[in-house]
Amino acid sequence: MNKSAVAGVVAQGRRALHRRADPARIMEGRERRFAAALLAPAFLALMATTTFPLLFLIWTSFYRMNLSMPFMDGFAGLDNYRELLADPRFWQSLGVSLVYTASTVVLQVVIGLALAVLVHGMRRGQGLFRMVAILPVVLSPAVVGMVWRSFMLAPDFGVVDYLAVTAGLGSHNWLGDPTLALVSVIVIHTWQWTPFAFMVLLASLAALPDDIYEAARIDRASAWQSFRRITLPLLRPAIVMVIIMRTMVALTAFAAIFTVTGGGPGTATEILNLYAYRKSFTELSIGYGSALAVALLVFTLVVSGVLFALRRAK
Amino acid sequence: MTAKRLRLGILIGVSGLFLLAWIFPILWSLLNAFKTEQDVLAYPPKLVFSPTLDAFRDVLFGATSILPNLASSFIISIGTTIVTMALAIPAAYALARLRIPGKRWAGFYVLATQMLPPVGIIIPYFLILRNIGWIDTYQGIILIYLSFSLPFAIWLLVSYFEDIPFEMEEAAFLDGASRLKTLRRIILPQVQGGVAVTVVFVFLNAWNEFLFAVVLSGNTVRPVTIAMFNFVSVEQTLWAKLAAVSALAMLPVIVLGVVAQKHIVKGLTVGAVKGGGRR
Amino acid sequence: MSARGQVQLDGIVKKHGAFAALKGIDFEIKPGEFFALLGPSGSGKSTTLRILAGLDAPTSGRILVDGEDVTGADARERDVAMVFQSYALYPHMTVFENIAFPLEMAKRPKAEIGPAVREAAAKVKIEHLLDRKPGQLSGGQQQRCALARAIVRKARLFLLDEPLSNLDAKLRLETRVELKKLQRSLGVTAVYVTHDQEEAMTLADRMAVFMEGEIRQIGRPADVFAQPNSIEVAAFIGSPPMNLIPARYQDGSVLIGGRRLPTMLQTHGERDVVVGVRPSAVRFEADGIPATVEVVENLGDAAILDMSLAGTALRARYDRFPLPREGDAMGVTVRPEDIHLFDPVSRRRL
Ligand SMILES: Nc1ncnc2c1ncn2[C@@H]1O[C@H](COP(=O)(O)OP(=O)(O)O)[C@@H](O)[C@H]1O
Ligand SMILES: [Mg+2]
Repeated sequence: MNKSAVAGVVAQGRRALHRRADPARIMEGRERRFAAALLAPAFLALMATTTFPLLFLIWTSFYRMNLSMPFMDGFAGLDNYRELLADPRFWQSLGVSLVYTASTVVLQVVIGLALAVLVHGMRRGQGLFRMVAILPVVLSPAVVGMVWRSFMLAPDFGVVDYLAVTAGLGSHNWLGDPTLALVSVIVIHTWQWTPFAFMVLLASLAALPDDIYEAARIDRASAWQSFRRITLPLLRPAIVMVIIMRTMVALTAFAAIFTVTGGGPGTATEILNLYAYRKSFTELSIGYGSALAVALLVFTLVVSGVLFALRRAK
Repeated sequence: MTAKRLRLGILIGVSGLFLLAWIFPILWSLLNAFKTEQDVLAYPPKLVFSPTLDAFRDVLFGATSILPNLASSFIISIGTTIVTMALAIPAAYALARLRIPGKRWAGFYVLATQMLPPVGIIIPYFLILRNIGWIDTYQGIILIYLSFSLPFAIWLLVSYFEDIPFEMEEAAFLDGASRLKTLRRIILPQVQGGVAVTVVFVFLNAWNEFLFAVVLSGNTVRPVTIAMFNFVSVEQTLWAKLAAVSALAMLPVIVLGVVAQKHIVKGLTVGAVKGGGRR
Repeated sequence: MSARGQVQLDGIVKKHGAFAALKGIDFEIKPGEFFALLGPSGSGKSTTLRILAGLDAPTSGRILVDGEDVTGADARERDVAMVFQSYALYPHMTVFENIAFPLEMAKRPKAEIGPAVREAAAKVKIEHLLDRKPGQLSGGQQQRCALARAIVRKARLFLLDEPLSNLDAKLRLETRVELKKLQRSLGVTAVYVTHDQEEAMTLADRMAVFMEGEIRQIGRPADVFAQPNSIEVAAFIGSPPMNLIPARYQDGSVLIGGRRLPTMLQTHGERDVVVGVRPSAVRFEADGIPATVEVVENLGDAAILDMSLAGTALRARYDRFPLPREGDAMGVTVRPEDIHLFDPVSRRRL
């Protein structure tokens, strides 16, 4: 048999195969290959920048690794985790994280919701609120921190201090006193991100159909009743979503605290995220820092698990 | 009637107070940028003063000009935006549009990657980039920025792609367009709005990012958010200059915020309102 | 006449998991024919059309166009044009660009595209709208634009999925006539999906009646109307629908209301049957079967009478004036050739 005859037979065979194959399969296969080509670059990048570092992080958390003392490096097993469980600074940072997250999220949602309801009822001026609300949200938290620290909370000439003195509360070291410093970073975070909750909830309110409220009015519901019985249940999905999103952000807040207090005074405003950073990049203890970061991840997962369960409930 | 008036007055007062609370810190720091060092430090704080552009002149054209830092911020943000969109648009299209197995899992994976705390990414990547000499390089920082910009962009874009009726695409196939042509000529023009929203957000997030920048910056890659610390030191803080730098760092995002206001509100709410129903 | 546009479907099955949307569809369409797929919603008409277009693949079976097996071929390789129920106009393009798109994709020279677009637009009378965007068009104009986009390329098959259902009633009637003229003048094979039996009756050369993923009957509309082969088809075609009355058959007659009505069927013996009578076939005679008028629906030039006849309901068309009043007693009868007989068990025509 010569070459071309062989080729002919092979081609025939292939054609027969092609015909017998399920046409739905052929079409799906074509679509799948196209999808794979589109998805591959993004998913490779995602894996390279998220999944791979996660695995690497877990690996380093089992190592003694200190950039200032490379000669000490070596496998440490669970040592970092044992150390972590016995580390009062870790437990304290976890507590600060909890206080910081819970208070900022509650404040954002409560103030944001109240303002959204207020502004939603306005016939004029909604545009002004929307415009102003955009401003803090688009700013860099680092710059926001810098602005607050320098021009609002500075002890000698800051506006907040001036207002406190004028109100008869006296002058305070706003960022030097542990409690006041924590309150300050909470206020700053709330200041920057309440507009987010406000805008989302205002948009959700605007998306609610008017006729429900008209029906409620005809049913003689008071303003408070229609808020409690209609607005709140209908907004619940949006509120829960805002809580989830803001919680994730608050748990990993960094720039504003770093700029305003650097975690201090002492460790008064050191949330777990900041502790992991300081340990790794200030004290150069990468191994232990990795264990702290893993702990933060676990904490984040637990909290979000609880929140998502909350969302599904009812 | 009077009770109603009173209530209205209180409502306007309260909402006005919040408006002031949001706008004041920004305005105040902007004002300080036009002051002399002495005027900044005045007590009680001065609302009325003779404005000067000295601080701006110094930080822009003085010895420690932050122009290179502004440029650095732009390179990072624009670079991140381009790379992110180039990767996210095809992926979002495939996730929203094509019949593929494991699509739900892919979507879930995209969402899950956003759970990872940034500090958990930067610790290992610091080690990796140090080894390959990519600390203080643009490719290094843009690569890391993909870790947050990419999942966000994919997720946002998917919701826009899903809004286009399937029949539109099928009509194009029957008109003889290939899949790629359909994507380019029929689908993309219709998600322009969504692409714009996503671009705005990716740019903003890249401009504002701080943690990765702190760790990876150096003499080459030094965005304004990092460079502003040049004006803060234990011995002496240059307040007016700091205010001027802050103003310059805020300017691009505020302009973007005001110009793309609708886009931003949409981007924020797509996540919360739409995401509330999905997944 | 070229033989372009011949279609053959062979045992097409489409499954969605365990659910069979199509249970084996076979039919053949001749070149230039106007073929309707008629059936209630969910019966598999769109699925069939989409498989024919190449937008979905069948689970099994073959599709041949002009004798060529296109079962595994991509939609764009099949040279078919389609009008969607939603029109699927490209919202970011002008009407001109919409119509030009298929030509552009076929890489026709620029000089050819302009005249071709204008010709297609003229055929559906939208030449004056070429610069508008779809969003600036009325529903009827959008529909025409979709038609123009479909005919401009002169594809060998012209598929339409309920193209008139989004139009208001008056426009629908007008467009129906024009659609038929258009198809005739183009001489193109058309496959037309509709759930509206009147549309199928007036438009189609032949039609296939779909039910539950199967074709129940294929034929010329007049034949299907005159000789429905099952109770379901009989009930679906005709408006108002055929009366279906369970009765007893005895030696060539049926017993209704205590009277014997002779039929065309001449077999000996006795059995249960379902008697089908179209409302327009009910005749009124003083000595007919006594019936009582319960409701009179006045249509203007005629009326539909809802009557009760020995305990069963009967609808009849009445076009003499004055109309009877509710409560009136009337005598009704049916000619043997107007009586359809069906088997109550197999539900087939006897
Ligand atoms: N993707 C799908 N998954 C599951 N069932 C489907 C799908 N597409 C269509 N079906 C079902 O197939 C049947 C036929 O649908 P279709 O062809 O659209 O009906 P028609 O056009 O006659 O109204 C319907 O019962 C429909 O629910
Ligand atoms: Mg249909």
